Amino acid sequence: MATITLRGVTKRWGQFIGVKSLDLEIADREFLVLLGPSGCGKTTTMRMVAGLETASEGDILIGGKRVNDLEPKDRDVAMVFQSYGLYPNLTVWENIRFPLKVRKVDPSTHTERVQRAVDMVELNDFVHRKPAELSGGQRQRVALARAIVREPTVFLMDEPLSNLDAKLRVSTRAQIKNLQHRLATTTIYVTHDQIEAMTLADRVVVMNAGAVQQVGTPIEIYDRPANTFVAGFIGSPAMNLLSGEISEGVFTGDKVRIEGLATNHKGPVTLGFRAEDSGISTAAGEISAQVYSLELLGDCTIVTMHAGGALLSVKAPKEFRAVIGDPVHATVSAAICHLFDATTGERIEP
Amino acid sequence: MSDTTMRQPFGLRIASVSFLIFWSFLALFPLLWIFTMSFKLPLDAFSESALDVITGPITRERRGGISILDICIAGAIFYAILKVPGLFGRRAVRFFARKRAGLAVLGVAYAAWLYVLVTGFGVTGPSVLGALFGGLLVWLFGFSGEDDDEGGLLGTLLAAVFYVLAAGAGLWFVLPPLLSAVDSAALQIPLVDYLAHPLIGATTEHYMSVWFDRGFYRNFLNTMLVTAGVTTVSLTVGTLAGYGLARSTSTVAFWLLILALVFRALPHSVLVTGYLPPFIASRDILQPLWDAPIIGSFLGLFTATPPTLYGQPVAVIAVLVSINQPFTIWMLRSFFQSIPKELDEAARVDGCSDMEAFRRVIMPVMWPGVVTTGLFSFLLAYNDYLICSLLLNSQNQTMVPSITQFFNSETTTTDQVQAVAAAVSITAPLFLLVMAFQKQIVSGLTAGAVKG
Ligand SMILES: Nc1ncnc2c1ncn2[C@@H]1O[C@H](COP(=O)(O)OP(=O)(O)OP(=O)(O)O)[C@@H](O)[C@H]1O
Ligand SMILES: [Mg+2]
Repeated sequence: MATITLRGVTKRWGQFIGVKSLDLEIADREFLVLLGPSGCGKTTTMRMVAGLETASEGDILIGGKRVNDLEPKDRDVAMVFQSYGLYPNLTVWENIRFPLKVRKVDPSTHTERVQRAVDMVELNDFVHRKPAELSGGQRQRVALARAIVREPTVFLMDEPLSNLDAKLRVSTRAQIKNLQHRLATTTIYVTHDQIEAMTLADRVVVMNAGAVQQVGTPIEIYDRPANTFVAGFIGSPAMNLLSGEISEGVFTGDKVRIEGLATNHKGPVTLGFRAEDSGISTAAGEISAQVYSLELLGDCTIVTMHAGGALLSVKAPKEFRAVIGDPVHATVSAAICHLFDATTGERIEP
Repeated sequence: MSDTTMRQPFGLRIASVSFLIFWSFLALFPLLWIFTMSFKLPLDAFSESALDVITGPITRERRGGISILDICIAGAIFYAILKVPGLFGRRAVRFFARKRAGLAVLGVAYAAWLYVLVTGFGVTGPSVLGALFGGLLVWLFGFSGEDDDEGGLLGTLLAAVFYVLAAGAGLWFVLPPLLSAVDSAALQIPLVDYLAHPLIGATTEHYMSVWFDRGFYRNFLNTMLVTAGVTTVSLTVGTLAGYGLARSTSTVAFWLLILALVFRALPHSVLVTGYLPPFIASRDILQPLWDAPIIGSFLGLFTATPPTLYGQPVAVIAVLVSINQPFTIWMLRSFFQSIPKELDEAARVDGCSDMEAFRRVIMPVMWPGVVTTGLFSFLLAYNDYLICSLLLNSQNQTMVPSITQFFNSETTTTDQVQAVAAAVSITAPLFLLVMAFQKQIVSGLTAGAVKG
């Protein structure tokens, strides 16, 4: 039972600001994902919640109680570290048991609880090995088991899947999701992989350079990005962003003309649309340019072209064939377009 | 490592192998030579012919000698002594550590050892045997198993010393009667009797007179006291300071380290000159402390008047620690730095306080580093000549400076062989210690980042 509240939390190292005045309200049992490019302050935020880093300013509350001055051990959180942090001198079993031993949990329950955690992460065959004798994925699961064995009030996971191969990543992702659902523990999960964020999160916090850009459900973040940073960061390929002018619902830019936009805004704007919402046409379209390059993805082909002062990606059927330099037309309907302020990058609501 | 990665050019291999042979010959030869000499009568030991020094015909004639059978048995026993810790140490520990019996055995053995030291070196047989035997048990059972990390490190270090002592004493008391019994039995059997005839002349009389008539055992105990003191103090301080400095980012810490290095660079004699006057005058200097209201009455419980430190082992321990401490701190600090910070952090999130994280998580990982550093401290104290000879009075003298007592204007050849026997006595424990701990020492010296 724990809500987590961050109020104006700031981390400073000398002049450098790692995290800028962060306000966040995390509900009980929520799975919250911190998402952002490398160095944006995700780990720092999480370490402040864990108590491994002191906040320069602001309050951190867990379950309504201010924990700024509490030691990590008194915050009742469990953390999975980016690089495991397993105890190399202990076996897998003893690693998982360690939190119980340190916290003086009744020894008669240890075997049962450790066994349950081991079962959950399917490590039964490895309990007598040392961490050095395990593969990266197995180590990762030991770290997970060590976190869940105690049933803490808060889970903190720092890129727990970053060192796994693609296949293991998918299955462990599912395990984590299922686990969190079963244990119903408030979880903060750090990643810079947006697919992970999309699949796991109840809500996603997108961060950049120490500041929160947007907080919302994965769908909200995807469908209604709050600014050009979020728009350009979420989705694969990222949203196309073109610069141009808008007046009376008509957007015009270099080789681009889109009509029928439902807005009264006038002046320079940035227009965004997603590759998968647009299409290629041989006859005519909103964008007319030359093929810059082609990427065959199997289920479709991504066509890139130069227009609106940027490189745009447009999705074409997999049968689409062209050579670089061919003239192409892209169809972009007004309904799929997002508008952003040209200078601040903030979303312009229609 | 595959064969291809290890393949060296032929010429290089020849060169490195011959260098190794040359080097070990250079290093080992004097040792083996004095070892051989120390068991011979002076006539053989200083004989013109090298062969006579080795076979000792005169010694064989007058005092008897050892047979091929003896050599084989002694070799087997030596081999066993070196192998026992590796073979049985861990398994025994697993069993006992869980029941915390290791800790109890450790306590008993340590008490016995303290008893020996405290009873003023008026060594009584039972107490020595008690300590040695206890030490053997500690070696086997006292160090940390995987499941229970309490008391492990201390137990191992003490146990190492005890084991070497016990092995030495065992060899001393058990080997000669055993060998002569085996020989006399073998002489009854035809054919085998040839192996049991004395082949090489040998006598232990020099060792007897050095250790007992000339009281070398006192020097030995003093050395043990000084080395134990120096090693314990520098390791304790060095571990704590090294950990603190390794985890600190402040510039003060950096300057402290540099300062320590400067201190280490000073010649030892300079330090002694600085320490000598206060040690001689320590009674006057410390008097105010004894006169102080509360502290004074507390200190008075131990001695009525402040001690004169000059001549006492404590003084030597203090000087040697201050010489050695910078090095210990630097070395341990770099070991600690190779341990990822996430290990402490994981422990703290898992429920440890800072001190607990240090003791339960960092120290078990650190221990090859501690053993290696401890070995260096031990060697410094063990081999020190200058400071011990300057600061200790004769009844507190350690082994190395005491060798000078064998040389004076009336030195006889017997004295010289006795000096050689004393030299061998000094070297042998070191040799055993290093051999028994080679694995830990190597892993300590080569420890890079900790896997995990
Ligand atoms: N101890 C420190 N002193 C100074 N700056 C630091 C310190 N620790 C982190 N930083 C800086 O704070 C910023 C945020 O770091 P943080 O570790 O939170 O990034 P992150 O979002 O977790 O990145 P990644 O995805 O690469 O793990 C970085 O620019 C980093 O250089
Ligand atoms: Mg990080």
